[in-house]
Amino acid sequence: MIQYLFFALSALTIISALYVVFSRNPMHSVLSLIVCFFTVAGHYILLNAQFLAIVHIIVYAGAIMVLFLFTVMLLNLNRETEPHKTNWVKIAAVIAAGMLFLTLIASLKMAGLGTYSLPHKSNIGFIQDIGVKLFTDFMLPFEISTILFMSAMIGAVLLAKKEK
Amino acid sequence: MMRVDNFSVAFSGLAIVLSALIFVLSADFYHNEEKHISDYLAILVFTLCGAMIMFSFSNMAMLFLGIEILSISLYIMAGSKQHDVRSNEAGFKYFLMGSFASGFLLFGIALIYGATNSFHIGNIAAYVSAGQISPMFYVGMLMMLVAMLFKVAVVPFHFWSPDVYEGSPALVTAFMSTLVKIAAFGAFYRLFYLCFFDSLNYIVIILGVVTAATIILGNLVALSQTNFKRLLAYSGISHAGYLMLAVMSMKTGTASAIFYYASGYGIATIGSFAVAILVFKAMKSENIEAFNGLGKKNPFLAAALTMSMLSLAGIPPFAGFLGKYYIFSEAIKNGLFGLTITAIITSIIGVYYYFKVILAMYTKEADETSVQSNIAYTTIIIVCVSVSLLLGLFPDKLMNIF
Repeated sequence: MIQYLFFALSALTIISALYVVFSRNPMHSVLSLIVCFFTVAGHYILLNAQFLAIVHIIVYAGAIMVLFLFTVMLLNLNRETEPHKTNWVKIAAVIAAGMLFLTLIASLKMAGLGTYSLPHKSNIGFIQDIGVKLFTDFMLPFEISTILFMSAMIGAVLLAKKEK
Repeated sequence: MMRVDNFSVAFSGLAIVLSALIFVLSADFYHNEEKHISDYLAILVFTLCGAMIMFSFSNMAMLFLGIEILSISLYIMAGSKQHDVRSNEAGFKYFLMGSFASGFLLFGIALIYGATNSFHIGNIAAYVSAGQISPMFYVGMLMMLVAMLFKVAVVPFHFWSPDVYEGSPALVTAFMSTLVKIAAFGAFYRLFYLCFFDSLNYIVIILGVVTAATIILGNLVALSQTNFKRLLAYSGISHAGYLMLAVMSMKTGTASAIFYYASGYGIATIGSFAVAILVFKAMKSENIEAFNGLGKKNPFLAAALTMSMLSLAGIPPFAGFLGKYYIFSEAIKNGLFGLTITAIITSIIGVYYYFKVILAMYTKEADETSVQSNIAYTTIIIVCVSVSLLLGLFPDKLMNIF
């Protein structure tokens, strides 16, 4: 049952991700990106990571995609104003991305991944467990990430404040 | 999460000294934007914090956080001139490219975690030396390599650097080409020395090709530059190539060679930017022509810039020469003959573009605009020039740290 769910979710993820790239209309791209995020959240739930799934939906599908939509609407992007890429850039991008794809496929094929059974009864991925981990083993990164946010906040004020 | 050893203390000390030099210069640089000076200085200190985390991480999570603190602060600094289109472009370009590279770094960390079950560099090193390495690990290592190569701006991941250096405010460019480059190299060396040391043979071909391309292309493209900041950007790319040569020969423990080279390079670059900022401000131009006749207009500044340029070009008795000497001799010890010969030839070619600036100062006709220095800039210039001379004359003091 879970396996079928996994395949269905994976197919949906890949299709929506491809649509993000190939769609000519930026609005459709953004909407299909939301679908992609939801299906990834579904994968998290299958892996017993409920907290991650919820945060993923709130942060990505909620906050970031709203920002994306606003930007797309404000810039009024559409097919006519889309800048045209030269063929050289396209060829270079295809070669580079194709080589990365080849490397990934080859290595994953050779890796011989084992089968993992899901830890149904464990508490991995529960909010309490993550909290304990965050305040014991990963205390220092947790605290240091405040510097990152502080710097980003100061930057937002610095860049966005209107000059008198 | 963090491990303090001689490496991290020495590099953190260097980062603090470089930031202090930039700090003194920034008081005057931002004199007509008093409202922003506090934000700017705060971000400068945050960047320093990120650099120090990058020098002393012992966990992949800390490495990522350090790189992100450094990069996000820099995106802001690059775009900090709101009304300058080129500054906006620089900030945005750097942001897009940098986040893409961070994505690669994260993907690499995730794959390595998948293979080794650990974020801790000690455990990962133990996994590597135990043999039985999963192919997934190699892909992860490759992706982390791509991200680090982007951060140090070597060919073919260098495209952002000239544009960003040219568009950013001059002082931010000085900051980026010294502290940030050194921080990226410190983290790069630490990551590969402490973590991937035993699997170095796997990527040595990649590193070799990248190094050769960097020293050749960086020096050749710099020959045709007319903008001083772009010239220093390409010079920075070629210096990154020489540092890559030291990273490649890490089997004999080249931390001290990298440290010495980075100190000499950083001090000389800050010295030349201090002169350049004064010239840019007086001449309202950032081209090499702005330096025309500086030897007659202000002999002190011209002499200081000449000495910094000679140090960057690698001419004795300045620090740049011995830095190159140490790196080349380490590379020969590791049997990298072809690369070392290429590096020596290209560094001779490189002398030409540094002399282009010197010749402009002494042989071209001057115009009436005068170039004045002030106490802060004079002090910094004297400090930079004398330190790069002292480092060149007494190298043992730095070479014996490790």
